[in-house]
Order: sequence, then C-alpha cells, then structure tokens
Amino acid sequence: MQMIEHLPPVAAPEAIWSSIEAALEAGEPRQTQPVPRWRWALAAAVILALAGAAYWRIAQPSGTPPGIRWDVLRLAGSPSVASKAIRGAGRIGAGEWIETDARSRATVKIGAIGSVEIAPRTRVRVVATRPGEHRLALARGEIRAKISAPPKLFFVDTAAGTAVDLGCEYSLSADEHGSGLLNVTKGWVSFQWHGIESLVPAGASCRIGPPTGPGIPYFDDAPESLKQALESFGLEKAGGGALGIILSESRVRDTLTLWHLLSRVDAADRGRVFDRMAALTPVPAGVSREQALKLDPQTLDRWREELAWTW
Amino acid sequence: MLRLGIAACAACTIAALAFAEEFTFTIGSPVAAQDFRAKAAAFVFRTQGCADPAKSQISATAEGLVKGVRRSVALRVEAMSKPGVYAVYQNWPAEGHWVVSLKGACNDANAGAIILIGPKGFVRESSRFFPRPATNVEIETSLKALSQSDNKGERK
Repeated sequence: MQMIEHLPPVAAPEAIWSSIEAALEAGEPRQTQPVPRWRWALAAAVILALAGAAYWRIAQPSGTPPGIRWDVLRLAGSPSVASKAIRGAGRIGAGEWIETDARSRATVKIGAIGSVEIAPRTRVRVVATRPGEHRLALARGEIRAKISAPPKLFFVDTAAGTAVDLGCEYSLSADEHGSGLLNVTKGWVSFQWHGIESLVPAGASCRIGPPTGPGIPYFDDAPESLKQALESFGLEKAGGGALGIILSESRVRDTLTLWHLLSRVDAADRGRVFDRMAALTPVPAGVSREQALKLDPQTLDRWREELAWTW
Repeated sequence: MLRLGIAACAACTIAALAFAEEFTFTIGSPVAAQDFRAKAAAFVFRTQGCADPAKSQISATAEGLVKGVRRSVALRVEAMSKPGVYAVYQNWPAEGHWVVSLKGACNDANAGAIILIGPKGFVRESSRFFPRPATNVEIETSLKALSQSDNKGERK
C-alpha cells in the first residue's frame, strides 16, 4: 500500500470519458413492452387450478385417507355414499360407507378387477382401495361380486370372517351378527375365520356365522337330507346322528363336504369320514389314511386337488 | 439260452405295457384347474399317462347340430398353470345341440373324447373317452342321443 501512495498521479486520457458517456446513454431506461394477454390468461388459469385443487382437498370428508376412489353407479332408488344420496353416478373411497334402503341398489366398480352389486337393505364400508388389496366390510345385507383377477386381491370382511376371492363370482349375505350365506357361481372363494377355512367352489354354498365362522360347504344340488343334516351338524357340533346321514347320503361330488368334515369332526369320527370318501372315489397316490387322519396339511391339499376333478 | 433271453425281454415288455398308464383325458369343472383364468371356461381337462405333457398335442372342436344342419367350430384350448391341464372356452352358438371333441397325441399314443354339452354345462356322466380320436360316426351318434334326450326332456 505504501508503494502505491508514493506513485505520481497521472491524468486519464480523453478517450476514456467519451466511452463512459456512451455507455451511460445506452443504459437509459427503455420504453416497456406491454405483457401479452395470453400470459395473463395463463397465469389466471394456473391460479384457478391451484385454488380448485386446494378446495377439493379441503372438501374431502375428514378421516378419509388420500387414495384411489371407486366409481359407484346407482341401479335403483337412492343409494347413499358417505350419507349423501347419489344420483346417477358417484365415487367412494376408503373409510366411506355405501348404504341402500329397501328400494335401492348400486354397483361399485372395484378398481380394474371387477364389480360388486349392492343389494337393497345393505350397508358396506370400503376398507382399502390399494392395487394389492381391495377390501370391503359387509355390515349387513347382501352383495354380489364379479372379480376377474389373480387370487387374494379382493376381500370382504364380515362379523363371521373374511371372504377371500380366488378368482370368482359369488353372493354373500350377512345380518348384523354376521350370520348369512356364501353362494359361489364361478371360481373359488375361501372363507376364513380364526384359522378355520372353508373352500367353496362354483355351484356350492356355505353358511357363515359366529361363533363358528364358516360352516361346511355343500353343493347346491346335494340331497336335501344331506343339507338338513349339515344344519343339524352345525348346531350339534359333535355331529351325533347327523354325521351318519351326511355320510350315507353323500354322492361322489359331495366329497367336497366330506373333505371339510374330516378336519371338523372329533378325532374318533375321522376314520368314518375317510372310509366313506375312499368308498366314493379312489384315494390318490400320496394320500395315506394315517396321514389324512392326522390332518397332515400336505396330504389334505393333495387329496383336495384330486377330488376337485369330481366337483 | 437265446430263447430264454428273448422270452425274458418279451415278458418285461408286456409287463411294462401292462403297468404303463394309458394316455387319456379327465374332465372337470373349471375349479379343478386351480387357476383363476379358468373361471370363464366351459370345462377343463387334463392329460394323464403322458410323461412330458408339454410336448403333447391337444386340440378341440365343437361339433353341433343346429336345425338339422351339422356345424363344426374350432375351439381355443388354453394351457393352465399346471402342466397337462387345459381350459376350453365356449365360442359355439347357444342354439342347437353341441358336443366337444377333444383330440390328443403324446409320442405314439393318442386319445380322444366326446364331451356332451347340456343347458347347464358339460355332462360328465354321458361323456365318452377313447384311446384314439373320436370318429365322425361316434360324434354324430352322440349328437343324435343329445337331441333325442332333449326331445324326451331327459336332459338336466
């Protein structure tokens, strides 16, 4: 710094001033161009869209998680979604209820995998609308489901257990206590409750109800005496005389009923059930009496897969 | 000694043939396939007695009698997830009487079946199975039987 202070002052050349003046003249404010109208319109549209999205989000019912909403189509009367009557079509999301009165019917489109018709006097809640889990809860009434998807994507909860879709069409009814009927018209449905499972194929039905969950499935064309004995069997639990009627009245395809009975009767009665099944249709390779009576899961699965060719 | 050897070989061959499972079909409801794709099928069937089901050749035609006129419709046979299990989908008209003719070949073995179709679907009890493709005469006999039983109101 000291060396700089000792340097002699030197005048700037004239040329530098003229160039500074020219630069200052060039920097004078220019006349502003008017903003095109389309830009104002675009900005207004963006603001309106943002405001609309914010309003839509705020207007969602409280407690409804964001997610996929399913289409609802009114078929008759005035079904309601989230306590609001729908006219024509509406939408329903997880956590919301759909309800029909005595004159109302509606169809809920279950994502891309099928549809469910809500019969009159029915109350259903949408539990989950995720791609891997489509779940309803049937509080009371009747639904008719048509599902075209790989197994275990569609579920219906009831007070007596859960209907698990295995690629099917079915109707399911239940009262407030969970007592009702599952009737399958295509494919399979698995009805599960606390480790008890009933596999119900097309053409068969199964009573459901607490405290036992799923009953023993039977084919709809089974002898009436067999069906009545099954009702008695459910009430008696231990079976008693009903078991004898079921065994004697069974046809080949009623091995559906007998296969389920095998794991529901007392251990002392299992041999009777096994022997009747073996008399109706040959026991396949890989299935032994000993393992079947022990209720070995692999043995029972192997046998069911073979029996299904007679169902 | 040579004769003894030949006799032993012949005995072994006969025993092997006797114990070998015949190449044949078993039919069932769509649920038997244990495959959700079969849900809309008219029925499913499986081959038995074929060591390598993937190499078997399977085809099906719907053979019908509509207002007295014979008709034939090629059918789509879809392989299911389990080897040797197939689904047959209905693409024949609802009008008239129909049977489905199944044909199969596995190496040198052949199999055939005539599956009767009633108003409620396939009729297991009346269906016929052969160790060869069904002949036209057999198909027409089945169609006539189906038509006659319908006229008598015997069909379910």
